[in-house]
Amino acid sequence: MGPLSRETWAQRLGAFRASPSAFMAGPEGEDLGRDLLSELRSEKLSEQTKVSLLALSLEYPAQLWPDATAAEAAATSLLDTLVLLPPRPSALRRPLLLAATTALVAGDALGPTSEASRRLLPLLLGLASGRDLGRGFGPASEQRPLQATACECLRELESCKPGLLGGCLGLLRGLLGQEGPVQPLSLLLALALRNTLVIRARARAGLQGLLMAGDTPSGGDPWNWALAEEGDARLQPQAPSWPAAEEECGLAVLEPTPEEARELRAAVAQLLDTSYLLTPVAQAQLLWLLGWALRGLRGQTPVLFKPQLVRLLGTAQLTLLHAVLALKAAFGEALFTAQDEALLLRRLTVAAQHPALPLPAHLFHLHCLLSFPENWPLGPTAEEATPLLLGPRLCRGLLPSLLHDPMALLARLHLLCLLCVEDEEKEEKGQDWSPRHYLEELLAGLRQRAALDGGPRASATLCFQASHLVVQCLATQPTVLTPLTHGLARLYRARPVLAPHFVDLLDRVGPELGEPLRVALRQEVVSGPGRDEALRWHLQILAEVADGNAQSATLGFLGAAAAHCTDWGLQQALLRVCRALLRAGVGGGLADLLQALARQWEDPDGRDHARLYYVLLAHLAGPKLGVALGPSPAAPALASSLVAENQGFAAVLMVQEAPAPIRLSVGPHRAAGPGPVLQLHVEVLEPAYSLELRFRVEGQVYAPLGAVHVPCLCPGRPCRPLLLPLQPRRPAPTRLDVRALYTTPTGLTCHAHLPPLPVNFADLFLPFPQAPEGDKLGFFEELWDSCLPKGAESRLWCPLGPQGLEALVSRHLEPFVVVAQPPTSYHVAIRLPPDSRLLLRLEAAQEDGVPVALRTDDWAVLPLAGDYLRGLSAAV
Amino acid sequence: MAQRAVWLISREPGTPFCGTVRFSRRYPTVEKRAKVFNGASYVPIPEDGPFLKALLFELRLLDDEEDFIESRDSCSHINKTSVYGLLIGGGELWPVVAFLKNNMIYACVPLVEQTLSPHPPLISISGISQGFELLFGVQDFLSLSQKNDTELNTKLNQLPDLLLQACPFGTLLDANLQNSLDSINFASVTHSQKQPAWKVGTYKGKPQVSISITEKVKSMQYDKQDIADTWQVVGTVTCKCDLEGIMPNVTISLSLPTNGSPLQDILVHPCVTSLDSAILTSSSIDAMDDSAFSGPYKFPLTPPLESFNLCYYTSQVPVPPILGFYQMKEEEIQVKITVNLKLHESVKNNFEFCEAHIPFYNRGPITHVDYKVSFGQLEVFREKSSLVWIIGQKFPKSMEINLSGTVTFGAKSHEKQSFDEICIGGTAYLKLHFRILDYTLTGCYADQHSVQVFASGKPKISTRKL
Repeated sequence: MGPLSRETWAQRLGAFRASPSAFMAGPEGEDLGRDLLSELRSEKLSEQTKVSLLALSLEYPAQLWPDATAAEAAATSLLDTLVLLPPRPSALRRPLLLAATTALVAGDALGPTSEASRRLLPLLLGLASGRDLGRGFGPASEQRPLQATACECLRELESCKPGLLGGCLGLLRGLLGQEGPVQPLSLLLALALRNTLVIRARARAGLQGLLMAGDTPSGGDPWNWALAEEGDARLQPQAPSWPAAEEECGLAVLEPTPEEARELRAAVAQLLDTSYLLTPVAQAQLLWLLGWALRGLRGQTPVLFKPQLVRLLGTAQLTLLHAVLALKAAFGEALFTAQDEALLLRRLTVAAQHPALPLPAHLFHLHCLLSFPENWPLGPTAEEATPLLLGPRLCRGLLPSLLHDPMALLARLHLLCLLCVEDEEKEEKGQDWSPRHYLEELLAGLRQRAALDGGPRASATLCFQASHLVVQCLATQPTVLTPLTHGLARLYRARPVLAPHFVDLLDRVGPELGEPLRVALRQEVVSGPGRDEALRWHLQILAEVADGNAQSATLGFLGAAAAHCTDWGLQQALLRVCRALLRAGVGGGLADLLQALARQWEDPDGRDHARLYYVLLAHLAGPKLGVALGPSPAAPALASSLVAENQGFAAVLMVQEAPAPIRLSVGPHRAAGPGPVLQLHVEVLEPAYSLELRFRVEGQVYAPLGAVHVPCLCPGRPCRPLLLPLQPRRPAPTRLDVRALYTTPTGLTCHAHLPPLPVNFADLFLPFPQAPEGDKLGFFEELWDSCLPKGAESRLWCPLGPQGLEALVSRHLEPFVVVAQPPTSYHVAIRLPPDSRLLLRLEAAQEDGVPVALRTDDWAVLPLAGDYLRGLSAAV
Repeated sequence: MAQRAVWLISREPGTPFCGTVRFSRRYPTVEKRAKVFNGASYVPIPEDGPFLKALLFELRLLDDEEDFIESRDSCSHINKTSVYGLLIGGGELWPVVAFLKNNMIYACVPLVEQTLSPHPPLISISGISQGFELLFGVQDFLSLSQKNDTELNTKLNQLPDLLLQACPFGTLLDANLQNSLDSINFASVTHSQKQPAWKVGTYKGKPQVSISITEKVKSMQYDKQDIADTWQVVGTVTCKCDLEGIMPNVTISLSLPTNGSPLQDILVHPCVTSLDSAILTSSSIDAMDDSAFSGPYKFPLTPPLESFNLCYYTSQVPVPPILGFYQMKEEEIQVKITVNLKLHESVKNNFEFCEAHIPFYNRGPITHVDYKVSFGQLEVFREKSSLVWIIGQKFPKSMEINLSGTVTFGAKSHEKQSFDEICIGGTAYLKLHFRILDYTLTGCYADQHSVQVFASGKPKISTRKL
């Protein structure tokens, strides 16, 4: 793109400023950064236009040069432009320095490896030191402003890379002592000093003579990239600006050597002595910085600040008073005696109401009063409170009045409330002036104003904000809350259109005001006729306050109102009240009302809803109803009540698929009873109600299983084992597919698929009915013989573990042993439902195994038995 | 203590956006720090459009007052300072320092060097007071000798260059923007000695010190048993010291006659180098007694080049200068009014002007007035529904004047008449505007002997009381 005229640039800049993001997304966006840099060297453009281009780059470097490479290139180009300027006075030098600095910092390009950084830093330091940099850097008349600008650039670099100038402290002190411009050098030195002290303290290192006045340290760069990168010294919320925050951050403490301490004191004194030469805002910055710097130093008394304080306390400057408060917070009693504290409070009180100061200053001073950093605070520091030394007399001038601006009124009201709290604590001492009485009158006035027909929304808002503030501060004082409740109820009677404010207030206050106010408002609504133009407001209030109390009056009101609810909006409002009543568990009368509505209304939507509520009321139990009507847990609140409502119903009336919070396991085998029974252990991760476990047998080897019901399960509370009777069709192991159906504490019904449960072959074992006493062997032999010829016979080797045969039998086969000759010979008879048998002879056991003869009347059992026996020793 | 961005927005009710961004300035290097300091709670500075909308909404300056909007009207949304949180793009931009003055909204966002959730107390954020000071500075600059829109535009056009000077990286260097303007012009001066940053050059010429004292009295008289009448004097002492040398030392004293009312709540200019503790502690909070410090009030200072307000004070004079009585009786569409005014004998009876404004709120335009005045003349502003009683330069010898009459009103038209929440029914007020030249109610004065100058040459000293 060729050179652009001044007008074109003006247009282009205007378009960019209107919406940078839109411009950058457009066709011209991509070239803007490049064009801007090249145009700065154009000879056709005036300096003024070039300054406006630079101004743009000062504000939007990230848009013009979005990455570090582009920023580095831009800074290089800007520096080149600066060097190439002709040696006559130019308005471009300052903005070029600022722009190069901004580009490097904003583009994250600042660092020891960046070529532009390596050019910019010595240039800035050279200019700041007042060194002659040659004719390229302008005529002598420009040196002074450039020196100041270079200091500002260095200060910004130090702000963004704390510690960078740690090596220049001595040099800066020297310059300040000579003829350098006082303000820029003071601020730069104070910042570098503060940062160095903080970083050194964190690293538990000393100052290492950094403060010694003199030229740059010998040997190379003064840049302390190492210090700037040291530990966690990089820009972090490292400058806790208030003592409360400091404790959390654990500000490290630096213990300087006596010599270092002396040097430090000298440097701070040097800065403070010339501080009156700084503008008030810069003085305030200096005090904040030095306050921060010295706070972490052990053994440094802050008395150095003392000579400045009286001068500062007398001024009308917001920043200076604020800086004094910062010193107060930092040093407390070490700098301010109780008398000083009292004086400071007096000045703050004066400043908070002085007619010569603007309202924003009043409000800020008032905030400072309520957050005043006391030497010995009584309460928690985070809360706003009246300082101990700020008595009611000092506050007389700070009382709220109806003529005040809303913010001033609220701020002063807060103070008044705090006075009421103190007054209550001191109890009545027969004072002539009662803050509580004053408060009541003020609130009454606010309500009166809010009650005005046609009054602005803001005055209603103010009235409710004031009420809320009072409840927050004085929730425990019935003497305040009772008149407030009555007053608000009267306000509602006067202006029902404020219903949204009432609902909002009820949502936000605790029960101290909430409970009585609900009762009062309900009373106010239901005692009315229910057919005036305020009906929609009445219904809105009722939907908020209706509960199980005063049912008949409420229902009577609704019944009367129903006939006047002719449009959809009013019908929905009335239905909302019905919902509230449903939720509160109101029964009989409500059912009649809903039925009446379902018949009476013409609008199908209203009718359907009424019918739906009636059906819900008739069919759902209380808790479930509550959930059905409550907000849907599945989706965030939607604007449409209908959608939200439907989702609520759907959630409740449908079964939810859920990951199982239930763990099921099979307990030890119980060999008793007529059929095999599985013992199940259930554990839950969250409470489950009405749990129903359903089982399906894989391969249908057993008869279908009945469901198991558990009324209630809680985590950590043991549950008796559940017994699941099995009815095998074949004596075979299988797996059970398990599904659980349960209700969550929130009332949702959930369905979960649990991991399958294995049923082992041994789980089916049952003993034979007791053999006749005395002839057990005969009984066994009879069974043994009966197996053949229909059945099958086998012999196998059952390996034994170290415990031997006796242990193996007692562990696994004990209930089924018919004849035992310990430790070598056992005859075992097992009944396998439905009608099979398995007989084992374990005889002549040897050290490592026992030969087993087995017979069964069901050949299909043989492989299962073989597997079982072979697995026994491993299971021991 | 830096600012992330600054805006000036003119309020334009009735237009689609209800306002226009007239000036904005962002500080990307500060923004960089904000991102690190604020961590997860960081909310970037929005573009002008969204900022304008969110700020006007929060300040209730959009034309949509009708409905209850929870994020603005909720009772828990309590603002007790001029610092706001703006909901922008799903996040809350906080702290936004903003105030409205003369239809211009001044706003900035100070850097907070820690996390923003929970909000740290404002008192712990150094950038808050710096932000206020910056905005006050801009406001002073814009309002200084500003008469019309063209001048305002000229000044707005100067702002980018001025802020480049006074606030190049978001950290304010001087809240006095006029100084920055001068320093651009003074750039050629070479400095050999320590030059204060608040003084851009040196004065060359005839030495001269001028001091003027202005007192305003603010009085509210209810004539009721349960409400105390109030009257308070607020004084401003303005100085201009044209003296040679970089740091001339001057001491200015204010004196009171023997029966004068002590000065209280004294706030001084930062160029005052030290203060007597009696001046520092004299305050309207204390009960008045004879032991109160009654001067002379000495202010040692090194003056800046420009005219400056040396100090502000208040005072409690024993009686209000003019005692008033105003009665209004409502009779259907008419009201009967009676006004009596009495000038106190101790007050100088020589006004530059003196007039009583009698507004009628929440009523229609005035259709007819029957009246009788003992002194001066009455002007009727029918459409504005107000009367102005022009009393003139002097009260008559009796020191007492009165007005009585009947005012008839037409039908109330809703569009034109603004609603007043206080003046309803029988509640009404009369406001007296007057100025007495060369007179102070407290008696406070400065004369030839009040000024000591420690500099070469004998200055001409001029003092006046307004």
